Amino acid sequence: MIIEMREFTRVEGNGKAEIVIEDGEVKDVRLQIIEGPRFFELLTLGRHYYDVPDIEARICAICYLSHSVASVIGIERAFGVEVPEEITLLRELGLIGEFLESHSLHLYLLVAPDVFGYPDAIRMATKHGELVKEGLALKAFGNRLRVIVGGREIHGINVKPGGFGRYPTVEELEEIERESEALLRLARRAVRLFAQLGPYGAKAKHFVATDGYLWGEKLISDEPGEFHYTERIEERSLVYSFAKQSLYKGEAFFVGALPRLLLKSEMLTPTAKRLFEEHREKLSTGYVSYNNLAQAIELVYSLEKANEIAKTLLDRGIEGENVPVEPREGEGIGYVEAPRGLLIHHYRTDASGNISYSNIITPTALNHAMIEASLLKEARELYGEVDEGRMIGRLEETVRAFDPCISCSVHLVKL
Amino acid sequence: MMDKLKLGVFELTDCGGCALNILFLYEKLFDLLEFYEITEFHMATSLSEGNHYDVALVTGTVSTQRDLNLLKEARNHSEYLIALGTCATHGSVQGSVELPIREKLKAVYGDGGNPMRALDSKPVVEYVAVDFALPGCPYDKEEVYQVLMDIAKGIEPVRKDYPVCLECKLNEYECVLVKKGLPCLGPITYGGCKAVCVRSGLGCIGCRGPLPGEVNPASEYEILKGLGYDDEYIVRKFKTFARWEP
Repeated sequence: MIIEMREFTRVEGNGKAEIVIEDGEVKDVRLQIIEGPRFFELLTLGRHYYDVPDIEARICAICYLSHSVASVIGIERAFGVEVPEEITLLRELGLIGEFLESHSLHLYLLVAPDVFGYPDAIRMATKHGELVKEGLALKAFGNRLRVIVGGREIHGINVKPGGFGRYPTVEELEEIERESEALLRLARRAVRLFAQLGPYGAKAKHFVATDGYLWGEKLISDEPGEFHYTERIEERSLVYSFAKQSLYKGEAFFVGALPRLLLKSEMLTPTAKRLFEEHREKLSTGYVSYNNLAQAIELVYSLEKANEIAKTLLDRGIEGENVPVEPREGEGIGYVEAPRGLLIHHYRTDASGNISYSNIITPTALNHAMIEASLLKEARELYGEVDEGRMIGRLEETVRAFDPCISCSVHLVKL
Repeated sequence: MMDKLKLGVFELTDCGGCALNILFLYEKLFDLLEFYEITEFHMATSLSEGNHYDVALVTGTVSTQRDLNLLKEARNHSEYLIALGTCATHGSVQGSVELPIREKLKAVYGDGGNPMRALDSKPVVEYVAVDFALPGCPYDKEEVYQVLMDIAKGIEPVRKDYPVCLECKLNEYECVLVKKGLPCLGPITYGGCKAVCVRSGLGCIGCRGPLPGEVNPASEYEILKGLGYDDEYIVRKFKTFARWEP
């Protein structure tokens, strides 16, 4: 017998799951990504590098800047281009904006209704209007950063290899400094709220993240040593899903806010670090549901970090100079921490700067096996113990804890 | 007070941006909710209680049999259907990959046939009649707000009929095509985005699709050739969002 879950709600994109029951026991769970395939690597193949980041941005609306930045870094590494600190700081500012926009969307509009027992944030707003407004304020500030750095709220084209089309003004940096400080109070309250959520889903055995907090040269995991993704991560196609599944040394693994905190807590800003320490015991158990709490702590991190970057840039002044980009035959990987976890853009380029090979692996594809493992564990615990409606409700919450981004996950290719 | 209009948001295959952009309306979303009740919007709500919609917003391309079924359901149960965003109106990025579906699937997933019933990505407008088409990747959120408000007040929303260039001039942005020699599709692209890319000092990439009517793609083509861009580059640029034959 197969219990078919309806399409997931309050997640980005179209997905569902099947629970396979044999002899009265849960035998298997299949996560089906039914969003149509989008073929981005085929689309970018043969295209001039200059246009590629703008196309890659279209992979995802919630995290378009992560895609632009990963794409730009991959291309720059292929050409051997180094950019100065001003440009990397601004890119970080954009990625922080995306953390704020995406995490607050996820926590306040998609998860909070579960906490308070509503079908959505709009209906929740009648009783918890203040909370919804606080979430929207954080989200709007995140989007403001995406406009300033990325060019617009969704699918901006301002992030380019070698720099930016337009640099922020002093007034904009002052606005960021001011706003990030003012909003910190709301983010701290979010930590208290989401710390109430209990453990569910599987306990992750392996964690993977970039070696820097927001992006990196290499990857790190719960095991010693830095590595490139090809050394430890393998992808495979599934007959029941448009997303491929990735395994770390043959096993399910976890990317996202919780893995980032557990692997990189020493890189956190002061208040975020203190909050992490306060909840360390709980977070260290590795239950995937604590990803929600980890995201709330990252809201605090993001505001403190945005404040710090704005101050730094105001102190030293913005030069606004792009670095010249000379195309050449090469290969480069861009590793970025998208809000929902590690994102990989890997390119080869020809001598005229056209893309000759492209591979993109998104966080949701990396988490695919972990989501299935979590659903399996929950379904085994709940099947026969509670009624089917309640079981499915909890399974949906389990999927939601990963903050899956399904549109991102459906275009993986190796050529 | 009169009954609220029932609004459904249906997401086919896309990046999620056109649905997300509705949430980015912030307070204006609550203004809309004075006139509308959302009865289907799976990104935002777990409720799904509609079988009739006064207005249906459909985003994305038809890329699977599931998408096609959903689109037909939306069309059959709605009074006024809006194709929302360039995926729905023109096919956008995934619609521009030109290989047949079997070859695309093979390149991406290896040999496994087509068990999930994928289709070649096509815009919504190729399958059903729509009452309004609002392009943009993503569309400008003020625009969708205006369209929904117009409908709520019984006014037929207005289709824009000018290129991005017009909004660029109104904002007094420097012409990046003439002054910087950047490839800019502003002269032939459907306006309505407030020339947001030119605001960043970069060329319009044509994400709202080609402006219908009296535009001159041949002249745009000649200008880009004159700036030193080769045929293939220009053709691919033209086709990225709209499979447009220049």
